[in-house]
Amino acid sequence: MYKTASGEEIFVIDAHIALWDGSKENQLNIQGDQFISCFYDYHKNLSPEEYLWEKEKFLKYDPETLVNDVIVKGYADMAIFQPVYLREFYKNGFGDFDANEAIAKQYQNRFICNGTFDPRHGNRGLEELEKMKEKYNWQGVKLYTADWVGDSKGYKLSEPGAQRYLEKCQQLGIKNIHIHKGPTVTPLNRDAFDVADIDDAASSFPELNFIVEHVGLPRLEDFCWIATQEKNVYGGLAVAISFLHTRPRYFAEIISELLYWMDEDRILFGSDYAIWEPKWLIEKFVDFELPEDIQQETRVTFDLNVKKKILGENAARLYNIDIEAQKEKLNKCQLVSHNA
Amino acid sequence: MNKEKKVYEMLDKVYDPELDQPLTELGFIDHIVIKEAQVEVVFRLPTYWCSPNFAYIMAEDIRKYVSEIEWVKEVKVNLLDHCASDEINQGTAEGKRFSESFSGLADGDLDELRRTFQIKAFYGRQEKFIKHLLSDGMSKKDITALSLEELHELDLSTEGQVLRDKYLEKKEALNHSSLVAITTPEEEALTEEELADYLLGAKRTRLSMEFNGIYCRGLLEARYNLPSINKVLQ
Repeated sequence: MYKTASGEEIFVIDAHIALWDGSKENQLNIQGDQFISCFYDYHKNLSPEEYLWEKEKFLKYDPETLVNDVIVKGYADMAIFQPVYLREFYKNGFGDFDANEAIAKQYQNRFICNGTFDPRHGNRGLEELEKMKEKYNWQGVKLYTADWVGDSKGYKLSEPGAQRYLEKCQQLGIKNIHIHKGPTVTPLNRDAFDVADIDDAASSFPELNFIVEHVGLPRLEDFCWIATQEKNVYGGLAVAISFLHTRPRYFAEIISELLYWMDEDRILFGSDYAIWEPKWLIEKFVDFELPEDIQQETRVTFDLNVKKKILGENAARLYNIDIEAQKEKLNKCQLVSHNA
Repeated sequence: MNKEKKVYEMLDKVYDPELDQPLTELGFIDHIVIKEAQVEVVFRLPTYWCSPNFAYIMAEDIRKYVSEIEWVKEVKVNLLDHCASDEINQGTAEGKRFSESFSGLADGDLDELRRTFQIKAFYGRQEKFIKHLLSDGMSKKDITALSLEELHELDLSTEGQVLRDKYLEKKEALNHSSLVAITTPEEEALTEEELADYLLGAKRTRLSMEFNGIYCRGLLEARYNLPSINKVLQ
């Protein structure tokens, strides 16, 4: 819970966190090393100095650190795990469903554990998805389209294989599809970051919600375009929000574009923990006001009401969370959050 | 002219297609080695994962522009620390097409991709130039009615001239033949009424390229421990 200076409470859901294992012991190859190093460069370049981690800690951190950074220090009432496989790069994979589940069991009502699938796993993967739904009761999945499988360097959601998986999600009631577009999708001569395939999927599956992580960056312009067309397309703010420290004006431009082209009900806060800690992101986000010239030009509203929607209410709606009822449940939680 | 300076001058013409900025400005050129008529250009990117297709475009363009120097007989391009370094370095050395270098992983060459990003760059440069004209007091009506000839004759500030030249470069890259100065990338004329909405769309593209530029520069700095321009500008 975040409390403003005037005493107003903001219910926070961090819609993008991870517990990963990028350690040397878990790395299979140079790709494993380069993947986590790239994450670390994001962390190093945009975090305020007092929030910088040593590389060693960044490679692998324990559940207690996560709970402390996200829930206790980080104001989040709840957080959503968004795991990825990366089995070509890491022996035991990068994310771990069971490790996430264990944290969620220990701290009841705090965490939502999403899953993942890869359409290139064919029929076997479809059966697996059913089993996983039964075992973990997934409400959502995180898809990383640039993951490598054998010789394949990625996939698009418009491929028939992917369509079958989305059909299965619809059948099973896995409603929230979080997508992270990555760089290496075949055919390699096309723009791998292009979000047009999400447009396709969103219009074919109107009952599913498509949350485009990083608001489509590096293709923000294309993302805005599809979000105006498809009402079941949402934007996850992770990565974009990290401009708040070094380049607040750029953040102002991004958020005002999003509010202009889509609306305040379809933007979700996410820290992308452990790349960035939610504490500073949330503090800066709540305090932030649009510069006057940008406000004048776009005429959008970015007040506390809008901030509350982005920080929690919008994600709550997607995940069927009744905020007032949830607050009641959390009153009994052993974790007392920082500002509560 | 000094040989090294000449090579760098040619490298100023090589742009990152996604960012519409020269590699020299972005810090992507690591160093160059000149041995008589042989030039090796060593370059690097912000991540190991940067899209191989854009990296290939940059490598091809490095080779193309440096080869234009009259004393140069051989150009070697060397991309460091990248997931497709081998394919890209060998491919460009042998003058292969992208589809040959990545056979099985590509269904064509890079012309379409190049064009898509020429169009984005066109929007970005055009938006900046039109905004400049508007802030100079020119009306929307006059802007949409401007002929190419009148555009050349406009009395502009130094900044305005740079923006005009950059815009004209992209018009040329898109092979525009229309005599109207301000058109869509497909050379359709715009009305005074259409201009505001058109500019909003173009601004979205321009901003997106700028954000990416900042991200890429930041990641390059973090990756190679370069001095931070973020911190300086804060």
